[in-house]
Amino acid sequence: MNSNVAKRPVGHKRSYYAAIMIIFFLLLCVSIVASLVFGSRSVTLDDLMAGLFLSSSDSYAAAVVSERIPRTVFSLLCGGALGVSGALMQAVTRNPLADPSILGVNTGASLFVVIGIAFFNISTAGQYIWLSIVGAILTAIIVYGIGSMGRTGNTPLKLVLAGAATSAILSSLISAIMLPRSFVMDQFRFWQVGSVGAANWDFIVIFLPFLASGILLAFIMAPSLNALLLGDEIATGQGVRTGLLTLLSAFTGVILCGAVTALAGPIGFIGLLATHLMRLIFGPDLRLIIPMSAISGAAILTIADVLGRLIGSPGEVEAGIITAFIGAPVLILLATKLKVRSL
Amino acid sequence: MMKSTHKLQTEQIVAGYESKKILHGIDVVIPNNQINVIIGPNACGKSTLLKTMARLIKPIAGDVILDGKSIHKIPPKKLAKVLGVLPQSPIAPEGISVADLVGRGRFPHQSLLSGWSEKDYQAVEEAMDMMGITELANRHLDELSGGQRQRVWIAMALAQQTDILFLDEPTTFLDITYQVEILDLLTDLNRKYGTTIVMVLHDINLAARYADYIFALRKGELIAEGRPSEIITDELIKEIFELNCTVIEDPVSKSPMIIPRGRYHVCS
Repeated sequence: MNSNVAKRPVGHKRSYYAAIMIIFFLLLCVSIVASLVFGSRSVTLDDLMAGLFLSSSDSYAAAVVSERIPRTVFSLLCGGALGVSGALMQAVTRNPLADPSILGVNTGASLFVVIGIAFFNISTAGQYIWLSIVGAILTAIIVYGIGSMGRTGNTPLKLVLAGAATSAILSSLISAIMLPRSFVMDQFRFWQVGSVGAANWDFIVIFLPFLASGILLAFIMAPSLNALLLGDEIATGQGVRTGLLTLLSAFTGVILCGAVTALAGPIGFIGLLATHLMRLIFGPDLRLIIPMSAISGAAILTIADVLGRLIGSPGEVEAGIITAFIGAPVLILLATKLKVRSL
Repeated sequence: MMKSTHKLQTEQIVAGYESKKILHGIDVVIPNNQINVIIGPNACGKSTLLKTMARLIKPIAGDVILDGKSIHKIPPKKLAKVLGVLPQSPIAPEGISVADLVGRGRFPHQSLLSGWSEKDYQAVEEAMDMMGITELANRHLDELSGGQRQRVWIAMALAQQTDILFLDEPTTFLDITYQVEILDLLTDLNRKYGTTIVMVLHDINLAARYADYIFALRKGELIAEGRPSEIITDELIKEIFELNCTVIEDPVSKSPMIIPRGRYHVCS
């Protein structure tokens, strides 16, 4: 028998995949450098090196760079988390349009944070995260419930509509709470549209455990999720505990986006953009899609943040606005091409 | 030919919903190394019985016993090395290649860190070879015909290398040519590896020809079981399907063959 044939299931086009991965790593590096260099005050590469490696450097430019490091790290982490979150949500719902923002999970998380600030004097990042996660979980349950109502069960488009409708209601609640309370308004104006600009090391330290455990779980679940994509019956026949897996991966996806939303606000469309790009390139294997969505999500959000700084200079346009601007047309494009089950 | 030594049986299975039970206490012992076919009219519970035995449905009462142990008490991944199942309408992810899909059948044999072993490659290669789809390895599933696609799904189930394989109406929606082709391939599988096959078939004549053993269901009860030549009679078909017919000998296979009698076109 021809052994080349047998190697194909995982090995074919291996060099092609490797090339793509390298390209994305390079893109990631470029986005990191760009994020450190560009801003309301752009610095030179020499300044960058000085800022990164010479702790004694006291030039103003070097100080600017080291100020930007937490922001860059934070946007990478948030982007990665949102990419993985989107990949998980798409796999679990078998819905190519699933994304934390499209399903309204982000908005639910924001609402809870805003309620916490307005009524319970919540003010630490740790408190934000827990509130945000509770909001995200509740919203996910409600949206899934609404999307599953009716005779046809949950179809991709119904789920998206349920997400949009729920999101609209929750947004209006957020506005209703925020508008009469100027203190909430001031604190969270930037946050409401999604921004990584307020990042500091404390944020990152609080955020890291959620991100690390979420991404680790996602990696572990990837092979089982591959089986789940073939339908519950096949997955069961292959030894997957489908109920447990569905619950755990939905939970992981929701926690990842909840944690991001708590600190950066509702940044939309990263999951959709990153995951689709990766599926287009790597095909439907989640063992590749999940890690690569983390990388591409990190790159996309970081680049969006840089673009926002360049466009809005000398101020800045929040990254959440940029991602929505790019992401919404992509969503429309995908929705028009969508077959009812295409995952 | 390998002999599988597993013993699969059901004990008083009741399945369906509390308000509307579909199976009313079914006791069967699945003969080893045989092609077993479940027949019966629509909504008689044949698919439910198959799914319950294949642990896709949990029975309300009763149990499915594999080698003296309830299948619901065996670790799922371990069970998946013995019991394979191909449901009626599996879902194919968009853009998946034939080889990739067949490879997914190896899931129960792999652990998180093990990656692909030589055995995995061999199993996939053999399954594709057996189903005659080696040439299609790099094609996308979406591009294939219905018959080819069904062969790919069966190859995936085959790559799982289970001693017992359940198939829910594997020939539905296929042209007669492909129906015969699929049943021939399943017979190859049974003869070569001794795989115990349990499947639901709609066509009684193909069932009578290809089955070693038949379970006949009606309204959630087991009415008859046995070799086709022993149990397929005018009376049984009348009882199960409420259809008048004449049973003759299939000129090709010598198995029983039913000729239905309707209200028209009957020469005294």
